Amino acid sequence: MESVIIQSLKKGELTMEEFNVISDIFSQAITGELIGMSNFASLAETIDDPHEKMEAVEHANSERMHAEGFLAYARKKNLKINVNMNGEYWGNVRKQFLKYAHNRDFTACLIIQEVMLESFAISMYNDVGHALGGEAGDLFISIGNEEKEHLEHSSDLLCAELKKDPAAFESKFEEIHFNCMSILAEFSATTDLRGHCGVCNGDCMKGSLHHVGLDIVTLRGNAMAIYEEALDNIGISGEKSIIWMARLPA
Amino acid sequence: MDGTTPSIDFAAIGHQDSWQNISAFVNSIRNTGQGKLSCEKIKDIFGFISPKEIFRIKARSKTGTEINGVYIETFIDPDKLHSQFVRANINKVLAAASRAKRLGSKMVTLGGFTSIVLEGELESLSTRETKFTTGNTLTAAFIVKGIEKAAERLGISLHQSDILIIGATGDIGMACANYMKSRANKLLLCARNYQRLEKMAGQLVKEKIKIDFSVRLEDLLPQAKIIIAVASSMDIKLNHCNKNVLICDAGYPKNLENNIIYKKDVHLFHGGMGQVSGGYDFSPDYSRSIYHYEAPHLVHGCILEAMVLAFEKRFESFSSSKGNITTDKMEEIYRLSMKHGIGLAPLYNSKGLW
Ligand SMILES: NC(=O)C1=CN([C@@H]2O[C@H](COP(=O)(O)OP(=O)(O)OC[C@H]3O[C@@H](n4cnc5c(N)ncnc54)[C@H](OP(=O)(O)O)[C@@H]3O)[C@@H](O)[C@H]2O)C=CC1
Ligand SMILES: [Fe+2]
Ligand SMILES: [Fe+2]
Repeated sequence: MESVIIQSLKKGELTMEEFNVISDIFSQAITGELIGMSNFASLAETIDDPHEKMEAVEHANSERMHAEGFLAYARKKNLKINVNMNGEYWGNVRKQFLKYAHNRDFTACLIIQEVMLESFAISMYNDVGHALGGEAGDLFISIGNEEKEHLEHSSDLLCAELKKDPAAFESKFEEIHFNCMSILAEFSATTDLRGHCGVCNGDCMKGSLHHVGLDIVTLRGNAMAIYEEALDNIGISGEKSIIWMARLPA
Repeated sequence: MDGTTPSIDFAAIGHQDSWQNISAFVNSIRNTGQGKLSCEKIKDIFGFISPKEIFRIKARSKTGTEINGVYIETFIDPDKLHSQFVRANINKVLAAASRAKRLGSKMVTLGGFTSIVLEGELESLSTRETKFTTGNTLTAAFIVKGIEKAAERLGISLHQSDILIIGATGDIGMACANYMKSRANKLLLCARNYQRLEKMAGQLVKEKIKIDFSVRLEDLLPQAKIIIAVASSMDIKLNHCNKNVLICDAGYPKNLENNIIYKKDVHLFHGGMGQVSGGYDFSPDYSRSIYHYEAPHLVHGCILEAMVLAFEKRFESFSSSKGNITTDKMEEIYRLSMKHGIGLAPLYNSKGLW
């Protein structure tokens, strides 16, 4: 069944608040996908193996398709889209990624893009998809399912990596966790811990999510839970992950 | 499991019942430079965390045996223990149970509320490698032994006392009733569901036990010289207790003390607890925040049951479905527990040791 929001979006009956928050949600998703696309493109440059290089480009293309999908819908509905890859949070995540990519640290890149960013994408797309319903909802859910495959694939690789040298792997992961998850934690905290994200139109959408039946506490909680599940699948112990989680900004 | 991980003899699945402890726990983990998280912020996150092992336990028997255990926190939100959240809570307990299995635990106990949400139906959880117990048999044993010890100290004769059991139709309540029926003057049974209470009472009457029962606590309170509180409820109010009444509070959340009107002549202790004379260590050591007691090495009876079975290498579902705790089984597990240097905890309440 189509949600009320989508029905009114069709009829042009959306309230200003609903229109704004939906526009911001799409802006964030498109920005996130473009970050993913750029990350994989940068990663491709660092890889020597031709097969793996092609795989990275293919992956970048899949994120591009996601961005295209969201953009096409946004254009069709005349949403007010603002893409900004250099804002406080997205820009810093990208910087972190590039730092590791320049060091040709493939494992670190996988951890940032495929575990951290994908966990947030999978969870938030799912929550947003169910809240919006209709065509927009289906779009979020189907893209979310594709991101799930990305996460699962990389968890297997990282699990194998951990087994080679658990102590070294954990300490590397821990460093990346505090470098990158801290940014995502600040981004998704109830209040912007580092100011405006540079993506939302006007005030941050966090305060307006209730107009579409969402709230930042649940979005963030579910996303962190998916991330933790990924840590678990990779083989990080609970004793470790609880310490990592408790030390994040909130 | 890889060769470097020591095997896990027992796992304890548990939950927190106070935000104060949770807040102390979370903030004890945070780095000093980070600043403390407010309770509100912690409440926003806690319930979303999935069940996981948070510390390892090493416990020592007086026979010299050492066992390895793990504590698995369910991250059940203390404000969401009511029946309306039962589905979510069951899922958390089941996730914790599969975590225990995956870690290779031979024996698992479902502490406090976590066995209650499963209605004591643990049979289906056990596998050849991993056995589950509620730990209620040793808990019940420590409750009744605690009553005996406290009564002796206060010069109260059990034979002449009417003993009120709040939560009488529960697993632990029934066990306490069975134990006390031949030792007390009269049993006073209280619970909310009248049918279950009536059925239990009918059985005891057949055995010629003197009883009274009611769903209304205030009907029974005036007669009670001794009270065993084993209901998991926050709304139990003890108005108009007898003078010098002896109370064992073994339910969770712990809040009977705040609900007692006449505090002066009330002798209340937290029951169902034991003490490990050989000691135990936690790693990381969170004992100051989430497992802090007035005396060293105190542990809940339900966790101790798993430890005792692990010391004995008796990996079995000692306490499983509800209503099967016999006095013989209570004596058996209590005896085994003493053999390993695990005795009744000293009597204490929130104000400290008696
Ligand atoms: N100290 C320790 O180590 C341990 C303590 N415990 C605690 O012991 C308590 C009992 O456990 P268990 O026997 O397994 O639980 P059960 O669910 O089997 O029994 C609970 C009993 O309390 C009754 N009850 C619930 N609410 C009320 C109320 N408001 N007034 C009167 N009676 C009430 C129930 O009957 P009805 O629904 O009809 O009211 C039932 O008789 C729990 O709080 C648990 O956390 C458990 C294990 C270990
Ligand atoms: Fe994507
Ligand atoms: Fe992806």
